[in-house]
Amino acid sequence: MTRHLCAVALVAGFAAPAAGSAQAVQNATLRRAQQAYDNLEYRQVVSLARTALRERLTGAERARAYELLGFTYGALDSILKAVDAFKQVVLIDPERQLDPNRVSPKAYSAFDVALRQVLLVRQLRIDSTSFVGGRGAIPIRFTVTQPARVVTRAIAGAGGGTYVIDSGAWNGQVNLSWPARLANGDPVPAGNYTVVVEARLGQNAFSASQPIRVSHGSVDTLPSLTTLPGYQYLSETEVPPQSWRPLGLAFLYTGGALIGTLGLESSSLGSSSKRELAVVGGAALVTGFVMTLRKPAPRPAAANILYNRLLREQIARRNQDIAKENVARRQQVQLTVVPLSKPSGAGPR
Amino acid sequence: MSRATAGVVLLVLASRAAPAQGVAVTVGPQFALASYREVAAGLRYQGTGFGGAASARSGKLSAEVGVVRLTLDPASGSAATSGFTATEVDAWVAYDLATYASVEAGLIRRTADPEFDAQSVGAVRIGARSFYEIGPGATVLFRANYLAAPTFSGGGHASFSIDLGLDLDVRLAGRLHGTAGYTFQRIGRKTNPGGTGEIDAPIQETVARVGLAVGF
Repeated sequence: MTRHLCAVALVAGFAAPAAGSAQAVQNATLRRAQQAYDNLEYRQVVSLARTALRERLTGAERARAYELLGFTYGALDSILKAVDAFKQVVLIDPERQLDPNRVSPKAYSAFDVALRQVLLVRQLRIDSTSFVGGRGAIPIRFTVTQPARVVTRAIAGAGGGTYVIDSGAWNGQVNLSWPARLANGDPVPAGNYTVVVEARLGQNAFSASQPIRVSHGSVDTLPSLTTLPGYQYLSETEVPPQSWRPLGLAFLYTGGALIGTLGLESSSLGSSSKRELAVVGGAALVTGFVMTLRKPAPRPAAANILYNRLLREQIARRNQDIAKENVARRQQVQLTVVPLSKPSGAGPR
Repeated sequence: MSRATAGVVLLVLASRAAPAQGVAVTVGPQFALASYREVAAGLRYQGTGFGGAASARSGKLSAEVGVVRLTLDPASGSAATSGFTATEVDAWVAYDLATYASVEAGLIRRTADPEFDAQSVGAVRIGARSFYEIGPGATVLFRANYLAAPTFSGGGHASFSIDLGLDLDVRLAGRLHGTAGYTFQRIGRKTNPGGTGEIDAPIQETVARVGLAVGF
């Protein structure tokens, strides 16, 4: 009972990836091979798949035929043959990936061994990005399945130039960044480019490519500041509290005039008339009394004036910096990179 | 056109041009009360008159000019038998040393008509003043001037002459100001009539001026 359940689970593990790709098969022999695989008739799968491979197949059908063979040999414990079959799969479809959660460990390890025995450049990815020329780079990542000399180039479309992005010995996951600048520091011209990754190991070579579009735009300038966040101008005048000061000052000034008059009067001329002082002094005292009752006049607030001056100077300095930054930004170029749909053509050379 | 009319026209024209230069100007007429004594307690006069005053301020620098024509008659109990007319011109230029204090210099010229009924006086003013805004648009001012190098129509000299002033300026409404000014003047004149020896012939005058002014 337990052995039977294990067998069913194993078969389900091999069958799962093949079932997903059975729908697009046009070749009748290959369909029969797929059916035989679904029915666990492995000897017949091998026979039918080999027969199908001698027939006229599309690339996808050919890859599927080899994949059926790979899974079948894996189920039959013919690991070397399974590896050979998977090598053919990845040579036809380098991006082919197995899901370790859905295929058996035997098939997956055979596929993994096959990958490491073939020189491939897989999973070339260039993400959309946007940056100011000279202050960013285009991220490029790919996987090389064997240690190899890898040259990465960007080839401009319509007879443009070729720019070497990187040249080095790589193996496994590779992450590169291309600043998209010319030798003189200027950004590369706008247009379509093809990023080509070429791996070479002895006589073997493999290349993968990804087209991208590079467009130019202007860099946003910064607006001038009118205020600093968190800082506000303060009132430059303040109303002092109501007091008797106005009347007191009127008394003081009038008293000064009275005392001066009395003190400076000539003894030989006698006491002078005081009606003139009474008129003006009285007016001053009445004014002082009225002003005492009125709301005092606003007076300059020295601390606030100083604070506002410092704030204005700070804003002016910031705006000078912003103006300089904007001058620089107007001379800069915003590069926007978008990957385009991939044309067919990648493959071993 | 009389000189007074020409002066008023010039003053108005100047005051209208001043705001464009950032200068605050006030111009207006004044009514005056005056008391005048000379030589002895018995020789005293009282009277009234009309005049005008103008002031200008630009930053720390300010200037004032006042003209008043007084008709002085012998006061009650005076030994004088007839009155006279006095025309007094005062001018100051001041510079603010502090928020409430200035130094100032100017001149005074008072002429009497008929000429020998009273002394005509001319002198240079040198002094200081203190002013304070006691309320919105209300300023009170006290000044003390030394009258230097005085000259008199009847000759003589004065070793000590002083002029005290109390001024008030209140903005009544908009451009309209009310003005009031008090002046006490004491001139210690000494003279030597006929070479018989120097005698005191002091002059003492108090003037109160009340008026309106228009600010520009």
